[in-house]
Amino acid sequence: MLERSPMARLPDQALRWILTALSFGILLLLVYFFGKLSLESVDVFQHQGILSFAFSNDWNPSQSQFGGLALLFGSVATALIALVIGVPIAVATAVFIVELCPSRLRSPLTILVELLAAVPSVVYGLWGVFFLIPRLRPFEQWAADTFSFLPWVGGPVAGPSYFIAGLILAIMIIPVVSAISREVISTVPTDHKEAALALGATRWEMIRTAILPYSRSGISGAAMLGLGRALGETIAVTLVIGNAAVIGHQIFDQGYSLAAVIANEFGEASAVPLYSSALFACGLLLFIVTLVVNGLARYIVSLGDIERRVERARRSERKSAAAPGGAA
Amino acid sequence: MKFSKQAGALSLTAAAALVIVACGGSSSGSASTINGSGSTFAAPIYQQWGATTKTDDSLTVNYQGVGSGQGISELTSGTVDFAGSDPPMTDEELAAASKKSAPLHFPTALGAITISYNVSGVATGLKLDGATLAQIFLGKVSTWNDPAIAAQNPGVTLPSNPITVVHRSDSSGTTKGFTGYLTAVDPNWSSEVGKGKTVKWPTGTGAKGNDGVAAAVKQTPNSVGYVEQAYALQNKFTVASVKNAAGSYVEPTLASTTAAGQGTTVPADLRFTISNPSDPAAYPITSQTFVVAYTDACKAGFTEQVAKGIKTFLTYGLGAGQDALAQLNYAKLPADINSKATAQLSKLVCNGKAL
Repeated sequence: MLERSPMARLPDQALRWILTALSFGILLLLVYFFGKLSLESVDVFQHQGILSFAFSNDWNPSQSQFGGLALLFGSVATALIALVIGVPIAVATAVFIVELCPSRLRSPLTILVELLAAVPSVVYGLWGVFFLIPRLRPFEQWAADTFSFLPWVGGPVAGPSYFIAGLILAIMIIPVVSAISREVISTVPTDHKEAALALGATRWEMIRTAILPYSRSGISGAAMLGLGRALGETIAVTLVIGNAAVIGHQIFDQGYSLAAVIANEFGEASAVPLYSSALFACGLLLFIVTLVVNGLARYIVSLGDIERRVERARRSERKSAAAPGGAA
Repeated sequence: MKFSKQAGALSLTAAAALVIVACGGSSSGSASTINGSGSTFAAPIYQQWGATTKTDDSLTVNYQGVGSGQGISELTSGTVDFAGSDPPMTDEELAAASKKSAPLHFPTALGAITISYNVSGVATGLKLDGATLAQIFLGKVSTWNDPAIAAQNPGVTLPSNPITVVHRSDSSGTTKGFTGYLTAVDPNWSSEVGKGKTVKWPTGTGAKGNDGVAAAVKQTPNSVGYVEQAYALQNKFTVASVKNAAGSYVEPTLASTTAAGQGTTVPADLRFTISNPSDPAAYPITSQTFVVAYTDACKAGFTEQVAKGIKTFLTYGLGAGQDALAQLNYAKLPADINSKATAQLSKLVCNGKAL
């Protein structure tokens, strides 16, 4: 081993310091954002009360009323619609790419799906306003009239709505959910798949019994990440949700979301301290909801992590073997 | 060795870029620029005036239509040199802005707020009165063939489709003008919704800016919205004839808009509001619009060039600019209001010095 002088070790030390500083910096930034948002929201929480802000339905800034339930509802409703529409499509795409696709097409198809993520969200919003809304209106009206026995379906169709916002969000989360699902599905051991096929399962049965159960937690984690993305999406939603601070009763009603209210109203809020405090509080609420959802996603993904599963199985085997009476 | 060569090339490029940016960024000596923002109602006017002052006086005017409310906020915070606002500033807004310097209101034009609708088969000139309009925007009259509308329009086939209401989602002087009219004609409206730049709309979709409402009405069948006249004409909307205080149904035209300005009481600080005018030929939903600028722009933190630019812009606007209004479908200021505004121009100073 060559002896090196202490001076030669300096770059190593510097590297360690810089990387540590950067990592701490990111952590500090997160804490700073949370702290700053909370600090700025104190005014409106004192005026309105935290629970009233989050759970009362009366967004009336000109009268200094800041009940944000309609906003929270809009954010959650559009994100849920995005999940219901987007996740099945994303998982189907992932299954197709891994299992059914000719190997020549695999790479181009993967790239195309990921390109969906490259489209700026404002472009999605623009496309939604000028193309999707007018073209879908007859279909939506037909669906509202025919399926009015279903809950939340029915009523007049004006154009912008929770449904359109959810649809656009679904398109935006497909790349994320599809990429993660693809990774998870490709880790299914070949012997599981071959065992199913050897027992006489058709392709679909093999997918249903060998692949999907195995990747269930990974796909759930992917869906949760997609949900996190959909909750925070701003400009695309602002353009197509209808900007009405009410809780809609049908998916074709207009609504509002936490992110959209900030984008629309920050300009005039800048001169009124209580109003800008309310918008900060909206941001805080969104931040918290997104953090919770992301944390949940990580936990669920970790539940399905192979090494952990094997570890858990081994642990429970050891426990049952060590129990008095001992299994055979 | 390789690393330092790359580093050298990179730093040279960065330096070159900085030099280019610095050279390109310096403003030329004689031409000046003023920035304004606010009313989308009046945006076409200021953009047109700016085009003229650019060629005649080398004065570039950058104006962004973001809504009267945001314009006033930006003026108060110092982001823009002047604000466009349809309603005059309230006493609270005035107090907040006066910390820098007292703002002055310069009326620039009068314009009609049309009730634009998109109903297939119904031609322009649908007759509506104030009470019916209030009921529509409250959501109480929800279909086009409602008896309240049909009674005023005998002989017109109205469809049974539901009415889609479009309103503003941003803080808007046009909203204040429209809700001011509804408050004056319907006691229900003032108790349920009230007037203001932002109100809690009981029904309908929100769109940003006059242009946003115009686009929404254009794209949504069976919709109705309140849109400034220039945008309604640009989109070739069908507009309603509204019943005025004297009892006649009047279409929004230049003549009826000017008639609305007659007989308005104007206080000394020119902060007037036209409300449900009594002239028999007047179109009842008419709004004034102001340019708001600081008396002493320099004291408020702007340069002397900006202060001079504002005065040049306003001098043109209150003078020859009034003739350009007709082409844009706004009405000129009545002569007495114009002379008061022109007299107020001499109050614009820079650090106490006349401009």
